[in-house]
Amino acid sequence: MPSSISNFKKRLRLPRLFFRKPSREEQIHGGPPLEFERPIPPAPWGRIAVVITVVVIIATAGWEFYCRSLGYGPTLNDNEDLWTMKRRMVKPESVVIIGDSRAWFDVDLDEFQKGLGKRPIQLAMAGSTVLPALVDLADDEHFHGTIICSVVPHLFFAPPGSPPMDRAEKGVKRFHNQTPAQRVSQYLGMPLEEHIAFLKPDDLSLEALLNRLPIANRPGALVPPRFPPYFQTEDRERRARMWDECAKPGSELAKQIQQIWIPLFTPPAPPSYIPKEVFFAQINEGIKKRFADVTAATEKIRSRGGKIVFVRFPNTGGLKELEDRITPREKTWDPLLKMTGAPGIYYSDFPDLSGFDCPEWSHLSADDSVEFSRRLVPHVRDALNL
Amino acid sequence: MLFNSLTFVVFFVLVVTLYWSIRSWQARKNLLVVASYIFYGAWNPPFAALLFGTTAMDFWLGRQMSKASDQHARRRWLVASVCMNLSMLGFFKYGNFLLQNFQWLLARLGIIYQPPHLDILLPVGISFYTFHSLSYTLDIYRGVLRPTKSLRDFVLAVSFFPQLVAGPIVRAGDFLPQLLHPPGLKKGQFLWGLALMTLGLFQKIVLADTLLSSSADRVFSYPGPLVALDSWAGVLAFAGQIFFDFAGYSLCAIGAALTLGFHLKDNFRFPYAAIGFSDFWRRWHISLSTFLRDYLYIPLGGNQVRPFRAALNLVIVMFLGGLWHGAAWTFVVWGLLHGSYLVIERICRVWFEHKPWASTLPIRVLAWFATYAAVCVAWVFFRASDFTIASRMLGGMFGQHPQGDAILTTRELLQIGCVTAGLIAMHWAMRDNTFETAVMRLPPWTIAAIGSAMICAIIVTQGSSNAFIYFQF
Repeated sequence: MPSSISNFKKRLRLPRLFFRKPSREEQIHGGPPLEFERPIPPAPWGRIAVVITVVVIIATAGWEFYCRSLGYGPTLNDNEDLWTMKRRMVKPESVVIIGDSRAWFDVDLDEFQKGLGKRPIQLAMAGSTVLPALVDLADDEHFHGTIICSVVPHLFFAPPGSPPMDRAEKGVKRFHNQTPAQRVSQYLGMPLEEHIAFLKPDDLSLEALLNRLPIANRPGALVPPRFPPYFQTEDRERRARMWDECAKPGSELAKQIQQIWIPLFTPPAPPSYIPKEVFFAQINEGIKKRFADVTAATEKIRSRGGKIVFVRFPNTGGLKELEDRITPREKTWDPLLKMTGAPGIYYSDFPDLSGFDCPEWSHLSADDSVEFSRRLVPHVRDALNL
Repeated sequence: MLFNSLTFVVFFVLVVTLYWSIRSWQARKNLLVVASYIFYGAWNPPFAALLFGTTAMDFWLGRQMSKASDQHARRRWLVASVCMNLSMLGFFKYGNFLLQNFQWLLARLGIIYQPPHLDILLPVGISFYTFHSLSYTLDIYRGVLRPTKSLRDFVLAVSFFPQLVAGPIVRAGDFLPQLLHPPGLKKGQFLWGLALMTLGLFQKIVLADTLLSSSADRVFSYPGPLVALDSWAGVLAFAGQIFFDFAGYSLCAIGAALTLGFHLKDNFRFPYAAIGFSDFWRRWHISLSTFLRDYLYIPLGGNQVRPFRAALNLVIVMFLGGLWHGAAWTFVVWGLLHGSYLVIERICRVWFEHKPWASTLPIRVLAWFATYAAVCVAWVFFRASDFTIASRMLGGMFGQHPQGDAILTTRELLQIGCVTAGLIAMHWAMRDNTFETAVMRLPPWTIAAIGSAMICAIIVTQGSSNAFIYFQF
């Protein structure tokens, strides 16, 4: 018997209450469980712990100061738990904003509250497809409130399995399956995120830092597109505001993000493993199905007395040109309104909503989002006969 | 509750503080029971009731078994315990799987049957706690364990939170003796426990989740054919990911238990340095392999029977071991592959073991390489969600898709290469060693530097509370 085990027995004087003496055969086959003690490596653990604590505190503080010196500030991270927190607040008659990042950046909740008499609940999610949230609200038998739904065709028609769809489904799934532990973690995490600048998984995590290493890729490698860096803050109501650095006209950050949108909004080439004609047929089928699914969800909500209005938020510059070319209004927006029979507000149809500049071509600055919301509210009221 | 979550950090600090500030041993054990049920209920509170129900039932069955006057009666109580535990496991884990296969079988016979899809939510860690509990009645039946008189102690043995949901599979006979007297803390034990937890979290958060998982996910979810480099890189990434994920969890569990004064055995012993498959299974998920060995392989006759029957026993054990991991035929194939590897190894041993060249270095290196490669091939079935993906992956790995796509970035390939090389080198260096002896040989400043680096890496990584892979089992 190893000496550690025999010492352990002697020291603890464990009675043989649970074990009889194992037979020879049992010993050969591993036998019955025996008392076991893990060895503890001898080392000055107290001093080591003090050194580690001091080093970690200094290194963490240094990292925090460095990140702040780069312009990062403490803000909440948008994740499925925060989304779930807001989703739980939806009451039967709530005003709910769903869709993509344009509704997330461009809607000012205060202005909407002033104009509509109710504070809207922000459920729009950056880079996501609207369908899962819309279907979830349609399936909620109690809900008969008002939905303001942003439409960015490239995201609106994103196929199942694509990142925009996955992101949206993740949020809805978390709402339905969130464990008490996940809920507590969110409440514990928010104060930390509100005070520590480097807590930005998309920008300052080890994975994000490794992603930014300037390593050339193999020729022909199918490299996923880059996502824009940190350029917004978010509060507990999920109100996103563009970071001032990005809102500065002609800023380096804005220019950098503009160039990221172009590949992100450009449809990917057909994959090599499906014939082109099959691929495009699948895409067309997917778009038809999306129209049908959105129409069905819209009808379900309206049949309970709920209201929905589709909104096209401003975009500018090269991104607008690209979107207008790839997802023209007459093939996306117009059929959507026709099929659903729901009202829609296309920003460029209204002079007071046009003329806003998106610093990085896709979203309004925080100041402009307030003004835009003030002007948008009357149109929403008209569209919904409020 | 996940070890890599803020909730757990707060929970653990509270539990440890309260635990060591209470003087009464009985009160401490009560605290651990409550904490363990909170830990488990934090996933899905109603399942805590299920956990208690099966535990209490096994406690009662154990007592009945010990009271039984003859062997037949003892066997009846054992059968009742095994049936109760396995039927729970069968319903929650294999219900839909069995129905689907029944439907498939009827369809082959020309009968169209549409079974209802049972909307069954799998209780987290059911495979683990079922085995914790089952070991109790099995050991009482084997006569190596006397039943405990305390339901509370048995409840704690089954539900002790560090090992509750993903192992190691701690047998009641290993844990109950530790509940007899209040555990003392040896010098350095508490901090060594924290060090093991740190190492476990580093393996999980930094190595598995950050450096490997996204590459493995991308490769295994890619719907088209891939070139050999990407296919192999994806498999190697998964081989590393699952080791760091599961071994990381086990280390966290062992460390957390140590801080509370309890001793759990090793669950991994540098498995990727294994030479041969029996060596691999002595190093990988040791608590499961010894469980299957003691409660299944040996009762089937082990290797004390004719060679063919011994080989069949191995295959049966690995088949069930595969099925234990998940309700899918891919897991069964994984288990059967390992079963056949073990049989082939046994044949090779009979033929070659006594040859003088068999233990030379080149042959040992070759045997290691063959073991590692075969284990990686088996991982394909473990990770792939269906046979289409598995066959496409194998096709890629063995050069069937020279015109396939290359999807991994150079950075990802470098990451996989470096981590895999480091992993194998570390396992080789530690092959006949333990963490404890390795740490003992290090100067204190090196331990402090490594510890600081690991914690800083965990902080910078900002883990997103990804679930451990073995939670799904």
